[in-house]
Amino acid sequence: MRIVRCVEVRLTIPDNEAETARETLERLGVPLGALIRADLYRFELDASAEDTLVRTLSSLETIYNPGKHALRVREDAAPGPGEVWIDEVRAAEPAPSAPVRIAGRELPGVWSVERFTAWRVEGTAGVPMAEAVRRATETLLCNPAFQRAIL
Amino acid sequence: MSATVGVVVFPGTNSEEETLRACQSVDLRAQLVPWTADLDVVRSYDAYILPGGFAYEDRVRAGAIAAHDRVMTAVREGAAVGKPVLGICNGAQVLLESGLVPGLDGRTQPQAAFAKNAPLGKYRSTHVHVKLVMPPERCAITAGLAPGAVLPAWASHGEGRLAAESATLARLEREGLVAFVYCDAAGKTTSEAIPNGSALGAAALVNARGNVLAIMPHPERDAWTYMHVDESRERARGDAGAMLAASGGIALFEGLARALGR
Repeated sequence: MRIVRCVEVRLTIPDNEAETARETLERLGVPLGALIRADLYRFELDASAEDTLVRTLSSLETIYNPGKHALRVREDAAPGPGEVWIDEVRAAEPAPSAPVRIAGRELPGVWSVERFTAWRVEGTAGVPMAEAVRRATETLLCNPAFQRAIL
Repeated sequence: MSATVGVVVFPGTNSEEETLRACQSVDLRAQLVPWTADLDVVRSYDAYILPGGFAYEDRVRAGAIAAHDRVMTAVREGAAVGKPVLGICNGAQVLLESGLVPGLDGRTQPQAAFAKNAPLGKYRSTHVHVKLVMPPERCAITAGLAPGAVLPAWASHGEGRLAAESATLARLEREGLVAFVYCDAAGKTTSEAIPNGSALGAAALVNARGNVLAIMPHPERDAWTYMHVDESRERARGDAGAMLAASGGIALFEGLARALGR
């Protein structure tokens, strides 16, 4: 049986990129409480391959450094409230041949992988801000000429 | 008083000194303008160059944060009244992210981008040639070039692939907004000459008004004989004057000087 799983990798140390984006957005009139960024990998895989996948990702230092990252498997395969996922519409390239690889490592039992940058906007007490994330997406986070925003 | 060019420096810009020197070699008065400069001071310049580098570390996207920087207010105002603006590499990315190029229908939202190179999204540093494919007079900065002029330059980027919706690409081509395309040394356009998978083979775009030019490869890095990657450098060996003579990519700076009536 094939399943879809999302793996989120987020900094646990201050995120300069997210802070720069937050400052820029606030200066442009998009007030935010907190702006949280994460790398997101959405996999289509054999159900039996899930444990191996997580172990493999956790061992890839170019993706996950336990000294500064948190890695978790998300239960949802789509953006949550107050969240946008951004990916690039890539130039036409040959479809990758099996097996799927990430950071040079073969991922057995994985049929496809999509990469996103996830941005989440939170107000006070961590309340998701759906309208703010929409405005942030239009103002800065997505260039529709070559990127796709999934809200 | 003669015209003065402001070379805009963001945190992370790294090509400002070469750009300044290229300006000075064609007798342009040019000054570095930090992003923190007083806006009225920035407004006082007659033209702007946005040089290469990694403004704001390419945070969010290459050029995205700089495009919204306070200093760009003055650059936008200048462009709107016809001042020449030249963006090189990261500066070109800033111009596309700011919407100043191509600026179709007067819109100020990004309509195109220099996206990750294809294939594989890898950074490339390689010598290239670019060919002027629009009528020279279409842009103030290229007006003095010969039709079909071929210039040498260095491509040095990870995000130089022109990307836009197909309808936008069609308009860019139809309305003559592709300024330069990649080519070989003889001016022949081939897919092998394109270092990054750029749509339309584009190396540079111009805005509809013709005063804002965004070029990805660096003309200032092949603007003197000692920088050339051809036999001219070998011929100049032992002759300091010939080695230090400006040529090649300097033509774009000469064009800017001409546009400013120097």
